[in-house]
Amino acid sequence: MAGPLVETKLFIPRPRRGTVVRHRLSERLNRGAQTRLTLLSAPAGFGKTTLLAQWLADAAADRRPVAWLSLDESDGQPTPFWTYVLTALQRAVPGLGAGVLPLMQTAQPPVEAVLSTVINELSAVPDDIHVVLDDYHLVDGPGIQAGMTFLLEHLPPQVHLLISTRADPALPLARLRARGELVEIRAANLRFTLDEVAAYFNEASGLNLAKKDLAALEGRTEGWAAALQLAALSLRGRADVAGFIAGFTGDNRYIVDYLVEEVLRRQPDHIREFLLQTSVLDRLTGPLCDAVTARNDGRAMLESLERANLFVIPLDDNRQWYRYHHLFADVLRTHLRDERRDDLPDLHLRASRWYDQNGEPLPAVRHSLAAGDVEHAAGLIELAIPALRRNRQEGAIRGWIDAVPDAVVRVRPVLAAGFAGALMMTGEFEGVEERLRDAEQWLEEPTTDLSGAPAPAPAAGMVVLDEQELARLPGTIQLYRAALELARGDAVATVRHAQSAIERSADDDHLTRSAASALSGLTFWGGGDLGAAHAAYSASIQGLRRVGHVSDVLGCSITLADIRIAQGRLDEALRTYQEALRLAAADAGPEPRGTADMYVGMSQIAHERDDLDTAAAHLSRSREIGEHAGLPQNAYRWRVAMARIREARGDLGGALQLLDEAQRVYTGDLSPNVRPIPALHARMLAAHGQVGEALSWTRDQHLSADDDLSYLREYEHITLARVLLAQYAADRSEVSLDGATRLLERLLTAAQEGGRGGSAIEILVLQALAHHARGNTPAALETLGHALSLAEPAGYVRVFTDEGPSMTTLLRAIAPSRASSTYVRRLLAARERADGTSSVGDRGNTSANQATHRVQGLLEPLSERERDVLRMLGTDLDGPAIARQLFVSLNTLRTHTKNIYAKLGVSSRREAVRRAGELGLP
Amino acid sequence: MSDPPPDRPGHGPHRYEIRVDGHLSPRWAAWFGDLTLTAMSDGTTVLRGPAVDQAALHGLLRKVRDAGLPLLCVTQVGLAPPTPPPPIPDDPHAGE
Repeated sequence: MAGPLVETKLFIPRPRRGTVVRHRLSERLNRGAQTRLTLLSAPAGFGKTTLLAQWLADAAADRRPVAWLSLDESDGQPTPFWTYVLTALQRAVPGLGAGVLPLMQTAQPPVEAVLSTVINELSAVPDDIHVVLDDYHLVDGPGIQAGMTFLLEHLPPQVHLLISTRADPALPLARLRARGELVEIRAANLRFTLDEVAAYFNEASGLNLAKKDLAALEGRTEGWAAALQLAALSLRGRADVAGFIAGFTGDNRYIVDYLVEEVLRRQPDHIREFLLQTSVLDRLTGPLCDAVTARNDGRAMLESLERANLFVIPLDDNRQWYRYHHLFADVLRTHLRDERRDDLPDLHLRASRWYDQNGEPLPAVRHSLAAGDVEHAAGLIELAIPALRRNRQEGAIRGWIDAVPDAVVRVRPVLAAGFAGALMMTGEFEGVEERLRDAEQWLEEPTTDLSGAPAPAPAAGMVVLDEQELARLPGTIQLYRAALELARGDAVATVRHAQSAIERSADDDHLTRSAASALSGLTFWGGGDLGAAHAAYSASIQGLRRVGHVSDVLGCSITLADIRIAQGRLDEALRTYQEALRLAAADAGPEPRGTADMYVGMSQIAHERDDLDTAAAHLSRSREIGEHAGLPQNAYRWRVAMARIREARGDLGGALQLLDEAQRVYTGDLSPNVRPIPALHARMLAAHGQVGEALSWTRDQHLSADDDLSYLREYEHITLARVLLAQYAADRSEVSLDGATRLLERLLTAAQEGGRGGSAIEILVLQALAHHARGNTPAALETLGHALSLAEPAGYVRVFTDEGPSMTTLLRAIAPSRASSTYVRRLLAARERADGTSSVGDRGNTSANQATHRVQGLLEPLSERERDVLRMLGTDLDGPAIARQLFVSLNTLRTHTKNIYAKLGVSSRREAVRRAGELGLP
Repeated sequence: MSDPPPDRPGHGPHRYEIRVDGHLSPRWAAWFGDLTLTAMSDGTTVLRGPAVDQAALHGLLRKVRDAGLPLLCVTQVGLAPPTPPPPIPDDPHAGE
């Protein structure tokens, strides 16, 4: 929202003098006061607003909180509409939604998240609240429809919505009607009855008309409030009442034409003149009227019009702002257009100038366009663009693009570039290139002049009002080109233009430089060049911090951490999140958007390190802060993280359900989707033996072990390798194992070349399992050893422990040979816990207890060392190899083996392994 | 790419007649984007103009609504125009 809110739109109109209290309608409204929605749907001039104002004056007497919003055409987009609705609510319930209001100031505000918070806060309010949306037909449309339907569906019982409109809104009225949650007041209800006509003319207006005259008026006007009001004005001070009524009722003319003419004819010239000239204005205030009429009686005029009930409606309590009754204004405008067509442009231009001088660019541009002065409008727009862009009001800029002819834009480079940016921000790419070329033609690179002569003067014919923006233009244009190329999918061109944007922007133009860095970072990332991507994102974050764009810093931090995770540097990823959180905490006001995302990120790292409690706590914290503190992607990222915790806790059904939800709420952004949810889904299925479904996913994705590899599909290809291994485990098909082996080999090379240590660890783990499946234990242990060395510094756990009993076997086999065995023992303990859990199926029992139980089946328990040896006996290693692995002599090994045989009561290696299996020992 | 021919009724641009109740002052013609207003002997006014598409038609209807004019009917006018009640040649307000 650019500029301050228009206060007058939140003003609850006061009941006017000389109106009739209409008890039958008040009763209907009282009924509406108990229900969800009250709809006042009738054409212009039926007295909807007057009725509401009157009824609310009584409500105010009861101290019931009321939120009032008078809508206008400019409120049809989510940001202005909901900002005003929330502000109106705050007038009724101070402090309501204060935490979420700032969230509306974004290009795509998270409307449902914000409304959920507001609805929660509303349900805690003890009083009945009435929320009035006046003139809803001016905003009814796709922009706000979904949010309004959501609000209506979830409205707490003590909140009552009242909508006045000239056309039935696109809301689920039939459903509400069927549930008895809708009270309607329509034209038929609003028409004045004969009794009300009598009360209006004889009591309120003091005219004392005869019964037959009243009947004639009622018949001719059909009880239409606007016509009755005009008739009363025409009758005031008239001697020949009967003559007027006869003329009026015997005339075929459109009733408003007839009556307005009557009223206007009876006004002194200076009032008539004032009415006509100021009819170009949507809102009236003394100084603005003075600017338009070139007189100085604006304020006094408005006050006297209000006293005379001449269709001005006060918009505030201190007689500052008014508007004409819509219908009256329309008729005045037809008179003005008819009688003074030539004056129109001048009147609009004066209005435009006044608004411009008073810092209101939107109406200034509107009047300037109405005046037909596109040159002037173009200048105003050019100067307004930076503030509008900052406030994410690209929609307003977009709306003007069609109104300004190309020829006018072409000579204005700053405007042309501004339009190009607004187009892209609103998701349109057609016409962007043309606008950029228009802008660029004025910026031919000045040839480097060795003599140091001053830069050439701006080209003749170029029009620039915003010199500051002109200076930024070389960088801005390159930035927009980079964004355009990114949308086209041309990575090389994106980076080239982004680089050029940085070179051409001033050192202190942090915004352009940050945006350009982020664009090239994005491109490097998509291409798998993580080092370059990291450098670019770091530069972007630095710049964004300088200009205080905290939410953007948080957004980039997610990417930065994702890069670190792919590199296998979990500590640095964690530090990235923590630093971002510190920055967010230092920001005054509510948690900036993106705060919730940082906790989800930290949760993922805790999960990988098998600290599930911490992982779950981070997710709870993220949720507590609220969805409004999350970027759009947080909804799905949170669910993915939770699904993995559920899976780790043995709740596969819950995990899969969360993944489905995650997929439903998935929102892409410009970042490459390097870990697609369906791939994770397939992994979970494969890990739990549901190979068929996982396989059909790989087929749907046309994944093959011999595909060309790219970073963008790495996660899917690793998933394919997992599915193939699972298939081999299920049916021993050599083809699957061969495919997996081949694919993993190539994946490892690619990951190592791309510096993706995180991916390499996972691939090595899978390779070890593949070797093991083939019965090649030495190769399996060697590969696993490699993986362990890479993984230990970063503290990876689950990449090992998520694998099945084969991993237990391998870890047991390798443990004795590792120099620092604490890490491996930790992994092994976790792995054994998991095996215990799955074999007994009782998650409540700790595996330690179960192990003790089993060991007690022996008369004399095995020593730690004997257990190590027993584990090695389960492998394919021969005696000397086992001795080497365990760093013992062959003799010592023999002693251990003899003791083991004795304790188990067996006489051969094969028997020992079988017996150990029966006892759950290996 | 050229626009498809407006062969189906109700899709491409067409001429329409909008009939409202009451005789409208001719000054409304400009308000309605220079439509021709014809006052009919039955106390209605017929608004006629060049061919418009659906969006423009809805725009016109919105103006009718906002002026508070009771809408009587909207007719698509083909090659053979329907025969409305004859205009009143000597309507006292027609030239205002």
